[in-house]
Order: sequence, then C-alpha cells, then structure tokens
Amino acid sequence: MLSIQHISKKFATVQALDDVSFDVPDGQILGLIGQNGAGKSTTFHSILNFIQFEGQITWRDAPLSTDSFDDIGYLPEERSLLPKLTIEQQIVYLARLKGQSAKTTRPQIDDWLERFNVKGTRRSKIKDLSKGNQQKVQLICTLIHHPKLLILDEPFSGLDPVNADLLKQAIIAAKNEGAAIIFSSHDMEHVTALCDRLVMLRHGKVVLHGTLDDVRNQFGKTQLSVTTDWSAADLAALDHVTQVIHGHTNHYLLHLDDPAAGPAIFDALTHGHYIEEFSQQPPTLDEIFRLKVGEEHD
Amino acid sequence: MTKTWVVMFETYLRQIKTWSFLFMILGPFLMFGLTAGLSYLSADSAKSSQQLAVISQSAPLRQAYIKSHGDGLNTKITTTSQAKKAVKANHLAGYLVLSVDKQQIRGDFHGTQALSGGQRAQVQNFLSAYQAQANTVQAKLTAKQQAVLNRTPTLASHISTKSGTANAVKVASFWAFVTLLYIILITYSSITAQEIAADKGTKLMEVIFSSTTATSYFVGKIGGILLMILTQIAVYLVGGAAAYQWAGNSRTFKPFLTSNRSLIDGILHNFLSINLLYLFLGVVIFILLAAYSGALVSKAEDASKAAQPTVMLGMLVFFTTFPFQNNLDAIPVKILSYVPFFSSYFMPLRLINGTTSAWEVVISLVILLAAIAAGALMIGKHYQRLMLQNDNRSLWQQLLHRKHS
Repeated sequence: MLSIQHISKKFATVQALDDVSFDVPDGQILGLIGQNGAGKSTTFHSILNFIQFEGQITWRDAPLSTDSFDDIGYLPEERSLLPKLTIEQQIVYLARLKGQSAKTTRPQIDDWLERFNVKGTRRSKIKDLSKGNQQKVQLICTLIHHPKLLILDEPFSGLDPVNADLLKQAIIAAKNEGAAIIFSSHDMEHVTALCDRLVMLRHGKVVLHGTLDDVRNQFGKTQLSVTTDWSAADLAALDHVTQVIHGHTNHYLLHLDDPAAGPAIFDALTHGHYIEEFSQQPPTLDEIFRLKVGEEHD
Repeated sequence: MTKTWVVMFETYLRQIKTWSFLFMILGPFLMFGLTAGLSYLSADSAKSSQQLAVISQSAPLRQAYIKSHGDGLNTKITTTSQAKKAVKANHLAGYLVLSVDKQQIRGDFHGTQALSGGQRAQVQNFLSAYQAQANTVQAKLTAKQQAVLNRTPTLASHISTKSGTANAVKVASFWAFVTLLYIILITYSSITAQEIAADKGTKLMEVIFSSTTATSYFVGKIGGILLMILTQIAVYLVGGAAAYQWAGNSRTFKPFLTSNRSLIDGILHNFLSINLLYLFLGVVIFILLAAYSGALVSKAEDASKAAQPTVMLGMLVFFTTFPFQNNLDAIPVKILSYVPFFSSYFMPLRLINGTTSAWEVVISLVILLAAIAAGALMIGKHYQRLMLQNDNRSLWQQLLHRKHS
C-alpha cells in the first residue's frame, strides 16, 4: 500500500501541497483529479522523491528508497523517449533500469506491441513513429516490468478512444495483478470507469476523498432524470425543483435543493400510473468537479 | 551498481556507434594513410625521372661506378642515344659519360639540371679514386709506396649529442603533450556537455530517476564517456604502434625515423609514463565540469552552449602554458602544477623537464584526485535537482548564481 501522510510543499510563495493525506491499497486504483496547478504532478514528484517535502510517504510501510525503484512504473505528463533508439533498444534499456534483464524483456516485446496495436516493428526507430505510437511505446516501457506501484500522470492525454480503451484494459490488468495504481486525469469519464477511490485537489488541498459512490453521495441524490409529457414550466413549478434542463423530446433533468423531495415529485408526476423514466441520482463526477471548481469562484 | 553499468554501456554504445566518433577515431589514421600514400605515389613517379645513367666505352670503368654508387642509377641504359631519348622523355634526369683519354679519366654530365652538390662530390670522388688507382698501376709502385700514398688525414667530431637531443625531446614532448591534451579535452568536454544537456531537455529523466539514483546515473554517464576516451586512447596506442612498425620498414619513412630515433623514443618515453595518468585525470576533471555545465542548461537547444565554460577554461589553461615553454622552472609553473585543472598540464611539463621530485608528483596527484572526488560527489548530489529543474535563466546566470549561493 502507498500511504501519503500530511505532505506539504511550498514553491517560493506558492503553497503547492497543503497537508495532503490518502492511501492507495494494493489492487486498487486511485484517481487524482483537480484543475491545472492543483498539485497533482507535485504529488507524484513527492512520491518519487524528485522534490523535498514535509510529511511522510511510505510504500509497504517503509519510506521509498532505492529498493523501491524496481516496484515503480511511472509515466510522466509529457512523453519522452530517445529518438535514435529502436523500439526494442528503448524498451530493453528502460526495463534493465527497472531491474528486468534483457533476456526476460526481449521475448515479451512483440506481444506488447501487438497488445497496444503499435504501428511498427521492434526494429523501428522511435523517431520514425507517429506521436501516438511513441506514446504507446512509452506506456509499454512503463508496464513491461509488471510494476507493483503504478503512477500515471495524465495517461489518457492525446490518446484516441480506441487507444484509450487499450490503456484502460492494461491498467485493469495491472490492478488484477495486485498493483496499487494512482493516476491523474481531467477526463471524469475515465476516472469514473476505472477508479475505486478518488482524491480531488484544489490549490494543494484535498477537497474530496473517498470511493466514487461515497463522494457522489456526499452531494445527495439531487438530480432527477424523468421522461414525462409535462412542460418545463410545470416541472419548474414543483416544490424543491431549482433547475430544469430539457433534453431530447420529453426527457428532462431536474435539480433539487432537497433529496427528500423525490417521493413527492414522483407522486405528482405519476399519480399511481406508469411512467417511462424516473431516476433519482447524485451528481455525476463531472458535475461535482465543476461544482467544486465553481466554489472557488463564488 | 548494476544500473550504473547499464547506463554506462548504453551511453558508451550509443556514442561509439555514431559516425562522428568513428571519424574522430579514424581521422588521424586516414590522414597518416593519405599522406603516406601520396608520398609513396609521388616518390614512385619521381623516382625514374630522377635517375642517372652511366655510359662508357670502358666496361670496367662503368661497372666500377655502378658498383660504388648503384643507388639512383638506371643501369639498363648503356648508350648515349638511349640516354638522350630517355632524358627527352623525362624518364632520366641526365647521364654521365665516363671516358679514358691518354691515361686520364674524364667525366661528362649531360642533363636538364645541374648535379646537386652531393652528386657532384660523389662523381668527383669516384673519378679521383679511379684516377689514383690508375696512376698507381702506371707508376708501378711497391706495396709500401702505395700504402704511404694511400695515407689520409683523420678528422674526428666529438659532439655531445645526448644533451642536444634532450632539449629537442623536451620541446617536442611539451608541444605534443599540451596539444594532445587540449584536443582531447575540447572534444570530450563538448561531447559530455551535449550528452548531458540533451538528457535534460527530455522528460525521460523523470522515468530514469524513478528507476535509479541520480548519482548512479551520473556516474554511469561519466563512466560511458570515459570508456569512449579509453577506447580512443587504446585505438591510438595499438594503431600508433602498428603505424610505427610499418613506418620503420617503409622506404619513405625509414630514413626519417632512423635519423630521429632518439627524439621519437624520448617523446614516447615522456608519454608512456605517469603523464598518461595525468592526461586521463585531466580529461576526467574537465568532463566533470562539462557535465555540470550541461546539467545547468534549461533546454536541449542550448546544448551547444553547454560546453562553453569548460572550453574556455580549457583554452585558458592551454594558452597559459605558452609563456613557460622555455622556462619550466618558473615559480608560477610550480604553483600551477598543484592547482586542479592546471596541474594536468603543468605537472607533466615539469616531469618532461625533469624539474620535480616524486613527492611533488604524489602531492599534486592527491590534490587532483581529491578535487575529482569532491566534484563528482557535489554534482552527483545535486544532479537530480539540476536535471529536473526548468529554469529560464541563462547558463552564465545560473553559474554565477550558484557560485554566490
């Protein structure tokens, strides 16, 4: 388990991290979200000891040391490889730095290239690959030694939906192997699809922390998705409805100021008769993100 | 340690596979080969046109000349008409007609250019000796009388060649050493600074520092570059020995090597000594500085600027040696032979001059090794911070800032 306890970091006058604490158990995925500059990369750099910080970070109950290097798979925010090397040379070099011998790595390369659908052979030069394929090679370099702690800084950035799915599968496979995984993303869809837990940072502070359901339920089931022949004006006139968003045909999304108003609205809309759709849900992660960011501007 | 080796061999293999390294290694041999080839071709084509022919009605006279001065003669030409044709066709420099007229030996030279002083003396000596021999026979002298007439004065030269050569050896060794060290320093300072700076421009460093310590990586990088230097020195030693061997058997270079044997042996003696260690350690301390400069640049595009401080220091030290080339006993030379960076030039120069003791060499080496160790530790300690830092200040600003902080 990766444990982060009360870490703080200040750059000149900017408080980049302020008493941040969370854990990433083995076999779980933690999503780190927040606006640009919220402190996500600084958190990763602290975990990797790239910067000095206050507080404590432990991996399997001990501070991270040179012994932990081989357990870690790290994908930085900006991708970078050695352009003059071939795919094989690049992968073997980085795998050897992770303590995995060339003899073990070489037979796996073709399989990984196929898995990520890389357009090129093991002898293709990195500089001759497209940006997307270079990104996939870097992902292979991050995963090929089967890390036990996977740190991915914006891993989906620049990937098309097909390749993003390939990456999702690889992350889930690593999770199933028991790896503790932490990744940052601005795309709440990926976070929702993958994460067991999430942490949201704002100005270096943790503003949300917990499982996806816990976080969403903190905000109450304040959204009603209904399909009805009522007009938007009639819906807006209902008690505790603060906003009505008209979707397709007879579909509406109602925002409530009190989740307990749900049964009364249900009765008003159905009068004991069949209704095609009535679903009361907490806000989506995307909405929570906007809400939290919005709080800052209020 | 294993990861240090991985970085070391990766750096080494990546560098030695480049065309620039190959040309750098083979450059001197290509130059030497080209020069030797051109000299051989030029000598071969000039050889026949520089030959002389000897023509004579008297076969014993002609044979006597050929026997005593066979080199540079075309013995196939035996008649005046053949010789004239050969001269006209520029296949012969000229021909010597030897004749005997009333017991007097006569030589007539015909050619496009006058005989050189040496050739003229050679012909004159032959004619005199042959004439003397003929005179002796004609005069019917007794053996005793002949011996008296053959008596010649003696001129002996007593020159102290050792001290004269020793000075030449010192001067030649001085120039050979400082030039070689300067070339290696400048070359590898640039390679090191660019190699490190190019790394800094990439985010790959974050991946690498999540795999190994900065110190281990830094030592591996420097180790890879030192392996390159050792490769170059080894290739030069082996190639140089082979070239020396070949030149010793070459008609073109043998006379030069023979006449300069003591000078060449003296220079080699000065190189294949503790000076080689100074040369190597000098390169090490300079590439450490170059690595530090490389780590200070803010982006890969500035890689070419990275070597500037090291190159300038290298030039400063190189030019500082000039005023002292004939005054290696001066106080500044003694002081600078203990100062790291300068000691790599000045202590070997004192060693070449024979004006230092073993203790002084030991002290100088200890200071140099301590400076290298301190430099490596200091850079290794700050390497991660330097490599991961993105600072828009110029290289000079960073250097000055660090000096004051």
